[in-house]
Amino acid sequence: MVRKGVDDELQVLSVCGVGMGTSLILRMTAEEVFKQLGLRARVVATDTSSARSMPADIIIGQELHTVEFEGRAPVVVAIANFLDKDELRDKLVRGMEAVGWLTPTA
Amino acid sequence: MADADSLTDVTDAADSAVAARVGVTAGDWRDAVRAACRPLVEQGALEPRYADRCIAIVEDQGPYIVVTPGVALAHARPADGVVRLALCAVSLATPVSFGHPTNDPVDVVFAFGSPDTDAHIGLLAALSRALVAGLADALRSVPSDAAATALVAEVARDDR
Repeated sequence: MVRKGVDDELQVLSVCGVGMGTSLILRMTAEEVFKQLGLRARVVATDTSSARSMPADIIIGQELHTVEFEGRAPVVVAIANFLDKDELRDKLVRGMEAVGWLTPTA
Repeated sequence: MADADSLTDVTDAADSAVAARVGVTAGDWRDAVRAACRPLVEQGALEPRYADRCIAIVEDQGPYIVVTPGVALAHARPADGVVRLALCAVSLATPVSFGHPTNDPVDVVFAFGSPDTDAHIGLLAALSRALVAGLADALRSVPSDAAATALVAEVARDDR
């Protein structure tokens, strides 16, 4: 079985309205979190309308943007503070555990 | 250490215009966005219409530009009137509400403009690092526009 983020790079979209400001900030935060988790991930910052036609394993953004992506990617994470690595890491881990890409350690 | 007074009006660090204003009075979030764009318009880095585009994007897409509690990052697209890469910060005398569910009220507003879809990536990475390191609080506590501009110029120099 191919392990996501280990054998196979995770395809991640960070989304915002325009795709060049806040989504870029979120991309920086996400790249650091994936590094902390020891997972391979390609994070692309984009706007919500482009994201609709881009395949992804994980979509992250502010809740007002992620609601429309529920069900369009295996893991959809809504984050309030784009600079908070702890918030993003906790939510990513929970989302990835829910689809079996990470094994709960606790 | 650069002479802060020489940075008051305009600093070109690697072709980017930077500016900052402290204790700005803004009646609402639209005023705050205009205030953050204004110094860059005066420097010729942004066209006057840019601020209205920044506002229209929030009206259209929601207050997502409030990236972290208290801090908004206003911007529009390269085609909306960007002359060259630019970053400005304003701290507000009185916080404003953007209507964000968790990150209001906002008292530090950044405006940036990028001439294309890539030119700003290093600058925003530097801004992201600086915000994590406490830039917003530093901007809230500096006494003058010149000192605030020096902080923003430091971000621009960290563009890599």
